[in-house]
Amino acid sequence: MNETLQMLVTIVVIALATFTTRVLPFLCFGSREPPAMLSTIEKNLPPMILLLLVIYCLKDVQFLAAPYGVPELFTIGVVAGLHFWKRNAMLSIFAGTGLYMAVVQFNVFSFL
Amino acid sequence: MTEKEVKRRKERKGNTDLFVSALKTTIPVFLGYIPLGMAFGFLLDGAGYHWIYAFLMSLLIYAGAGQFLAVALLAAGAGLTEFVIATLLLNLRHSFYGLSLLEKFSGVGKVKPYLIFALTDETYALLTTTEVPAGGSKSRFYLYIAALDHLYWITGSVLGAVLGSLLDLNLEGMAFVLTALFVVLTIEQYFNSSVRFPFIAAVGAGALSLILFSPDNMLLISIILGTLILMGREKLMQGNISANKGMRKPNAVAAQPVQVQDGSKEEN
Repeated sequence: MNETLQMLVTIVVIALATFTTRVLPFLCFGSREPPAMLSTIEKNLPPMILLLLVIYCLKDVQFLAAPYGVPELFTIGVVAGLHFWKRNAMLSIFAGTGLYMAVVQFNVFSFL
Repeated sequence: MTEKEVKRRKERKGNTDLFVSALKTTIPVFLGYIPLGMAFGFLLDGAGYHWIYAFLMSLLIYAGAGQFLAVALLAAGAGLTEFVIATLLLNLRHSFYGLSLLEKFSGVGKVKPYLIFALTDETYALLTTTEVPAGGSKSRFYLYIAALDHLYWITGSVLGAVLGSLLDLNLEGMAFVLTALFVVLTIEQYFNSSVRFPFIAAVGAGALSLILFSPDNMLLISIILGTLILMGREKLMQGNISANKGMRKPNAVAAQPVQVQDGSKEEN
């Protein structure tokens, strides 16, 4: 098979597989009434998934070796603290990201 | 000016406001998707592929982790079946996103297929946490957010593939903007909802899957685990409620025989 064609087929196949995972619940519950259990799930999934996404962002952090995830946990603490205090999303996000970039680029926690 | 023109002008003004509001909402995703997309572009370019493929993949597939995985599989010379299975497993978590958006997406009209297609982690996070501005159209606002995020991702990956090797920017740590975004959105969820249990479920399921499973699998597994925990607790609570009702009102028991049975099972 021609290389370009093979690449295009691969891309389309991956695209279809990805779309399948996204459209599945809408196909299953599009026409019929979803079970009662689902309404609770609908309400409770977003807070759970968002916190899981935070944890997911830390999946590659080596907590058992120096610097023991301190840069990440420290910055998350600052972001959360700032947000509880000022509740300004832009401030919390950008101050936190700037701080983290400084921390890793200047290796602030190298003493650990 | 005729009445029609006034109306049209007002509508246009409303749409502009809505777009600006969506633009502001998506700024953190912009800052996250540009370096992440560039990283993907670098990677694909490094594997020897033309930038047009970075464009096509970001346009048609539009899945961060999925595209990184695809590059790895391409480099390993994987077959189509492997691509399909790996992609399905990696992106299965997106099915859970849809489950919690069934109601939100029920009245959005023609844009629904695109909204479903464009449902990444970040767009899901924004859609579930951001309120539609007062008086604005929900479908338009959602469309703007989803399309802007998509555009940022495409821009980032093409930029990475085209300019990647020429630029020497130190963007180390910039992807943390997405972590910060999720932290802020989690706190917003905490303020907005009265239920606390989902957070406990997340910590439990997250910690467990981090310890027991490889980092690459942890998100899907922890979402499944967490959902099971949520469902288990719901069953338990429903059981208790209908059991209590049953003591006072016998007909309530007759109306929900299944739940009473479940409740008594769990109490034994």
